[in-house]
Amino acid sequence: MQTLGEHKLPHFFNYPPYFTLQPVRETREKQIQVWKELILDYCRTQKVFIIGLEQDFPLFSNPAIERSLNHEAREAFLSALVLDGRAEWMDKSHRQCLILWHRIKDWADIILRFVNENGLEDSVMTIEEIRSGIESRGTDIHGMDRTVLMRALKLLENKGKLAIFKGTSTDDEGVKFSV
Amino acid sequence: MRRRPGIGGLQTAAAARDQYRLLGENVAKLRTDLMKEQLSTFRSQLEDFARKHKNDIRKNPVFRSQFHEMCAKVGVDPLASNKGFWAELLGIGDFYYELGVQIVDICLATRPHNGGLINLEELCKILSQRRKGAREAVSEDDCLRAISKLKVLGSGFEVITVGKRKLVRSVPTELKKDHNEILELSQAQGFVTVEEVERRLSWPTGRAIDALDTLLDEGLAMIDDGHRDGKRRYWFPCVSSISSFVASDTL
Repeated sequence: MQTLGEHKLPHFFNYPPYFTLQPVRETREKQIQVWKELILDYCRTQKVFIIGLEQDFPLFSNPAIERSLNHEAREAFLSALVLDGRAEWMDKSHRQCLILWHRIKDWADIILRFVNENGLEDSVMTIEEIRSGIESRGTDIHGMDRTVLMRALKLLENKGKLAIFKGTSTDDEGVKFSV
Repeated sequence: MRRRPGIGGLQTAAAARDQYRLLGENVAKLRTDLMKEQLSTFRSQLEDFARKHKNDIRKNPVFRSQFHEMCAKVGVDPLASNKGFWAELLGIGDFYYELGVQIVDICLATRPHNGGLINLEELCKILSQRRKGAREAVSEDDCLRAISKLKVLGSGFEVITVGKRKLVRSVPTELKKDHNEILELSQAQGFVTVEEVERRLSWPTGRAIDALDTLLDEGLAMIDDGHRDGKRRYWFPCVSSISSFVASDTL
């Protein structure tokens, strides 16, 4: 099986017609389905949060069969993810897409579990500590996108699980957990 | 001999006729008995053979197909019913029903990808992957037998021959001659172009496009506009080995 970095690629990735948006609805739906799964799967294993439509994204082309997705196909697959609630357009012109390989509420659950497992129930942490501290090493939280993290933390704040406080700069923005 | 007149003569003639008939009946009966005896000997020997080679029949697909052939020659169908001697002895009825169920399953699972037409070879490969745990190996011959049993369900399972390949159809689409010819043509590379169809089959443009459009609508073909030469290619998952890959991922 062909790999991309450490990511195992499904076999349809080597079948040229999957790189052309199919005109027949049923076939296109199936095509979009497998692409959605591949994109989410790849982003999860490679910890990718943002896909730029005009940038070189490894999944958008397969040099082995000399095929690449055109803009229309890229937008179609990502739009399908947006419809599923697994992605969000970051701008009106659909140039950048935020991939939620965990939904925001799932991220919130992961953060709560992380807090419990590390006994941080009443602690204070900066956002940067959560993203890149020793505690989060080896978890999905480590190195996570700041925007996504803030959204998950806001959700938890609304549920009364923590309080976000602002420092003098974004560097010392932090949270106080009260789980 | 001078024909003797009178009632005596008639009686003699009748008696002689009776004698002939009796003799004839005896001969016929003897022959039938002999035949019956031969058949029962044959049957018992076939049974002995089956009993003796039970394991070979169950485990060795080549042997199994030869056994089926032998049975067919003497008019015995071990699959005719799941009850009765053969099924009890060999359990092959169950074996084929199980295969049948798995084949239906695979055909349904791969349908979104191949439009309900799958290469027999691929089907067999997926089937074997799925049955890795099972003791018996499965051959294409077994698949064909299992599929022939599926016909009684009237669900449109059919094996069609396109060029050198056998394809298993699980949708009731009737493939027209034009479509068959395109499928056959596509077997060389897995795809065709309109130009190629026109040239190789000497068709006018409209005919080629019509047939290809139908194949697209049926979900049997996929377009590929990504080649450098800019010519649209029509790929047929049912003739490419890719179908097994996609299928085994999603199964």
